[in-house]
Amino acid sequence: METMIKKYQQKFKKVKEHTQTWDELQSLLLSHFRNASSIIQRLQLIQDSKKYGSLKSVDGIEAAVLAKQMDSLQNILFSMDKTLEEFRFIVISLEKIAHDGRQLVRGGGSVQPKIGKLQQRIGIKPSLSDCLEGLVQLHDMHQSEYLLKSSVVSALPTITLGPSESDLEALQQLLVDQPNIPKDEVQFIYDVIFAEDIC
Amino acid sequence: MTESPSPSPSRLWRPAAQRNLRNQWANLSSYKHKWLTLSSSARSHATSLVNSSLNQRFVNARDLGVLSDLPGIIKKASFKLSKQQELHRSKLLASYRSMVAIVNQMMTIGASMRCFPKGPDNSSMLQFSNSSVDATDAGDGGGVPPFTFWSISSFEKLAEELIQMFTMELNLKRLLVIHFISMSSEDVQHNIELSWMDELYIGEFDDLRKCNLYSIEACTPLLPKVKGRNTDKLKLHTENRLDADVLQVYLTTWLSDVNIDKYRLDEIFTSVGEEMNVTLV
Repeated sequence: METMIKKYQQKFKKVKEHTQTWDELQSLLLSHFRNASSIIQRLQLIQDSKKYGSLKSVDGIEAAVLAKQMDSLQNILFSMDKTLEEFRFIVISLEKIAHDGRQLVRGGGSVQPKIGKLQQRIGIKPSLSDCLEGLVQLHDMHQSEYLLKSSVVSALPTITLGPSESDLEALQQLLVDQPNIPKDEVQFIYDVIFAEDIC
Repeated sequence: MTESPSPSPSRLWRPAAQRNLRNQWANLSSYKHKWLTLSSSARSHATSLVNSSLNQRFVNARDLGVLSDLPGIIKKASFKLSKQQELHRSKLLASYRSMVAIVNQMMTIGASMRCFPKGPDNSSMLQFSNSSVDATDAGDGGGVPPFTFWSISSFEKLAEELIQMFTMELNLKRLLVIHFISMSSEDVQHNIELSWMDELYIGEFDDLRKCNLYSIEACTPLLPKVKGRNTDKLKLHTENRLDADVLQVYLTTWLSDVNIDKYRLDEIFTSVGEEMNVTLV
């Protein structure tokens, strides 16, 4: 039983590594989003020929500036898609870890052990069901968050057609907040799993 | 038949031409990076200048309510902003000046891709030169490719295409620099007049002449334009000097580098690198 708990703790350490990568990807995604936002907010302005001042004399300048800005925007959107792929990869890894966790209690077989055994606690160590639930919860949180990020990013091309500063701010806030991954709940899970390390 | 003690010039030419080309293109690549970096810092100076000028207008126009009892508060704030603007203005000009210098260097490189013999008995190669002492030697090995496929002219044509991008973009940015440094929200008397035909720093027109951006007959720098198009006349608009939207468009235009096709630039450096068997970043 103790060795099983240790194995689970190893799995949670692996999960932590993945979530650290997640945090790095999060910074990257936010940076891309801010850049995309700046461009989108300027789009209407740069299509207004009255706002070109002395540049009006320079034939073809409007079209050239617009073309360059659209090209930049395309590149940023492409990078965001690539970053989303990396998030998806983490979700898949977390799913695999949770799956392996379930297999661990069955001893590789298909027999579900008794509830009593699963909920047994020795001292402050976590129960087996604490471990299982923790892994599943962490996976579910990140999967929901990935789906949210995905829909925010796919909303961008539509927003480009009718940009609104408040819409963009709202979307950015959603990305920043990560509502599906409440920090205190995550911390609570780790506190239960690694209780003996804390005391 | 005895062999001549010194190798013939044509045998010397090839390795010297290879060395020269690799050098020149490595320099070209490094100047490209420098120009892009300078352009980016110039843009931050311009942005700071724009913000400071807009702030100053705001401060001057504002009703500060209870604060207006404090003696000279508007004057002090305005003065500080003016000092800031001075600083940003001179940094912007310094960056612009460095960008002109870089384009000059690029022009020199573009004209230095040929190799001519020198020394007694033509026994060693001058690495590069703009012209030959001997009018019959074109310095291009008679059209023989120094590496595998391309002749010296092919290298020169690509360099010219590349340098042209930076030259045209520099000229367009010149127009923007003129606008940025002539913003002022203080007394109208202190407003600097806008003109395409005034030097931005002492010696600027000499530098522009070296870049083929100055017309000696017309005594004016060439008009800025977008690649593939022509600008007939330049009319400088002075009425909306502090229009925030127009300034935003100017800053976006600076950022866009409309005359620099980044994809084509990469393509040129990649293919030149492949021909010369080196990696050019």
